[in-house]
Amino acid sequence: MKKFYLIVIILAIATVGLSSKWQDNKDAKPQKKSVSKAKTTKTGKEKSNQQKMMKKLYTNCKTCHTYEYPTKSDPALVNCPRSKMISVFHRPEEGPIIVKMNDIYGKYGPVIFSHRIHSEMSEMSGGCNGCHHYNTTGPVLKCKKCHAEERKREDLSKPDLNAAYHRQCINCHRQWNRNVNCDGCHKLKENDSEQKIAILVNAVSNAQHPEIPHPEKVVYETKYNKGKFVTFFHDEHNKIFGIQCIECHRDENCIRCHDINRLKKGNNISFQQKKIHKTIDEHHKPCVACHQKQSCDKCHKSNIMDRFNHTITAGWALKHYHQTISCNKCHGGKIGKVNRNCSSCHKKWELGNFNHSVTGIILNENHKEIDCESCHENKNYSVKPVCNSCHDDKNYPKDKPGRIKSIRVVSRK
Amino acid sequence: MKEISRRSFLTSIGAAATGSLAISANQALSQPTNILSEDRRGVLVDTSNCVGCRSCEWACKNAHGIDAGDIESYKDRSVFNNMRRPGIDSYTVVNEFSNEKNPLLPIDVKVQCMHCDKPACVSACIVGAINKHEDGSVVWDTDKCIGCRYCMVACQFQIPVFEFEKAIQPEIRKCDFCYERFKKGKLPACVEICPLEALTYGPRNELIKLARQKIKRNPEKYINYIYGEKEVGGTSWLYLASRDFQSIGLPKLNNKPAPGVSESIQHGIFAYFVPPVALYSWLGAMMWITKRKEEVKQEKEIDYV
Repeated sequence: MKKFYLIVIILAIATVGLSSKWQDNKDAKPQKKSVSKAKTTKTGKEKSNQQKMMKKLYTNCKTCHTYEYPTKSDPALVNCPRSKMISVFHRPEEGPIIVKMNDIYGKYGPVIFSHRIHSEMSEMSGGCNGCHHYNTTGPVLKCKKCHAEERKREDLSKPDLNAAYHRQCINCHRQWNRNVNCDGCHKLKENDSEQKIAILVNAVSNAQHPEIPHPEKVVYETKYNKGKFVTFFHDEHNKIFGIQCIECHRDENCIRCHDINRLKKGNNISFQQKKIHKTIDEHHKPCVACHQKQSCDKCHKSNIMDRFNHTITAGWALKHYHQTISCNKCHGGKIGKVNRNCSSCHKKWELGNFNHSVTGIILNENHKEIDCESCHENKNYSVKPVCNSCHDDKNYPKDKPGRIKSIRVVSRK
Repeated sequence: MKEISRRSFLTSIGAAATGSLAISANQALSQPTNILSEDRRGVLVDTSNCVGCRSCEWACKNAHGIDAGDIESYKDRSVFNNMRRPGIDSYTVVNEFSNEKNPLLPIDVKVQCMHCDKPACVSACIVGAINKHEDGSVVWDTDKCIGCRYCMVACQFQIPVFEFEKAIQPEIRKCDFCYERFKKGKLPACVEICPLEALTYGPRNELIKLARQKIKRNPEKYINYIYGEKEVGGTSWLYLASRDFQSIGLPKLNNKPAPGVSESIQHGIFAYFVPPVALYSWLGAMMWITKRKEEVKQEKEIDYV
């Protein structure tokens, strides 16, 4: 009898257990269905539009959410700061020319910020992210989207709007001006009539970036014993080799170029005034991209190097058009000895189609007709031409076989 | 009946006077309040954000009814040539220190009362004229102040100043954390005007969290230390800096609260005025007993004669 009761009890427990499990499954099923329903409702036009939009913004769901099906109650957003999500990939031309900042009520009128000029130069100092930090994908967020206008507030993790604005600007401007005066950017409200603001807006909109003074050469005194001095010719790299500012001056302090005191002094500037603490790798970084395969003594000399002079180094003076062309034009990729015969480069120059005036001397009627070799012995054009084979009393640099043509030297860009 | 001698009369009067004085003094002297509220406020000074515009100095004077002058005159940076201390007409000053890393970005440090959690001045004040309030502020009361200047000696930050020039009713003066403004729900004047919010006002606990967060996010920018978190038992004003705090004019101090030692001695001696009363009553009793003995002796001598 006891056994029978035991079996009944066990059976009862089992049925209860099973039914509850089945109940669980039953509960679970509609949930799944609801998810798939939500998914299916967005099919068709709506979904494709959304996908298109997301493609345009370079995003997918995971950019902002930690998992794929966020709900309204649990959006599962990625943690802030979203510095890795910054996707402000606009060009300076896409941004506004000026920004009128007039969000904070106070004694000052609006600040007219020259956005275009700042954004054009920003590439050399941290890029757009320097100011537009924590920007998500899509349109550029306004500062007041995150920064509260009230100083008395609950969330202290972010500075208020007033502080956020000032912190962006003042660190560069105080170094540049050497003061923290308000009137550099602000105009008192009482002096700000509509007309005056309009004039200011116009002036800032049309402002051009001032010319940046740059040194001809910089001498670095290094700790390298075998060659203490490195002489860097800035203008050569900039003008002849055509290296853009940004290639070396990336992530730099604005003050490197913007210094009101330096600008006042004019071009007589010592660029070695301020020592910058950098590691050896950081110092070499801008140079090694090009000078990678060269030995140390190429740059590190025991004394200050003279400017590169083609006449001294190569023994061949650059004249006329040769001064204006880039090195690679004759030397190809590798700088070395080059055949000095004109015909080695100017292959099409032959008797009949050669216009002698490119050399700077327009031949007169008598000389136009004669062979090249009559003056240029053995077709060696790098040697001075001889006159005495025909004229006893004439000698070349003194007397010329024609008239001299003034040559317009095209400046390099 | 025996006549009361002059001496015994004076003795008894003296004892009675001492006793009554002890009791009345105990009632008259108000105990200084020292509230250490969980929700007390503080200010986090981020010296890396301060640019030395000195608008806080101007705002402070205005808030305390001191002639502040024209704000334009505060642009003069030559004042930074000398180290300044808070004075009777300026409860806060900004000092500037050169920065070797970048000479164009000097370090500016605002100085004012730190509003200690366990203020030495409150403990030192013998008339209870300085009190710590629930918002964290340490405020002095000019009506009670007797000008003993004990608070000046006690303060380890050398903040309270005395009107030495004033002959009649000179006062002790120092930053009061804008207690009057706090009561009206306003921010301290310096915090409100700071254009860079180098001064962040809020609950002290939260400010410490914020400071930790800042250090964690910018380990190269700040040294890993919050000045004022533990100094002399903690202060309401906290500082963050890019280098060692002693090099920017903040004193190196012990973590033990300053009043600890002095208070235990002082309060021990004067606790409820029991020890002084006990001492004087013991002295009185001794005098009475010795006097009595002499009298008895004299009486005996008279008997023999």
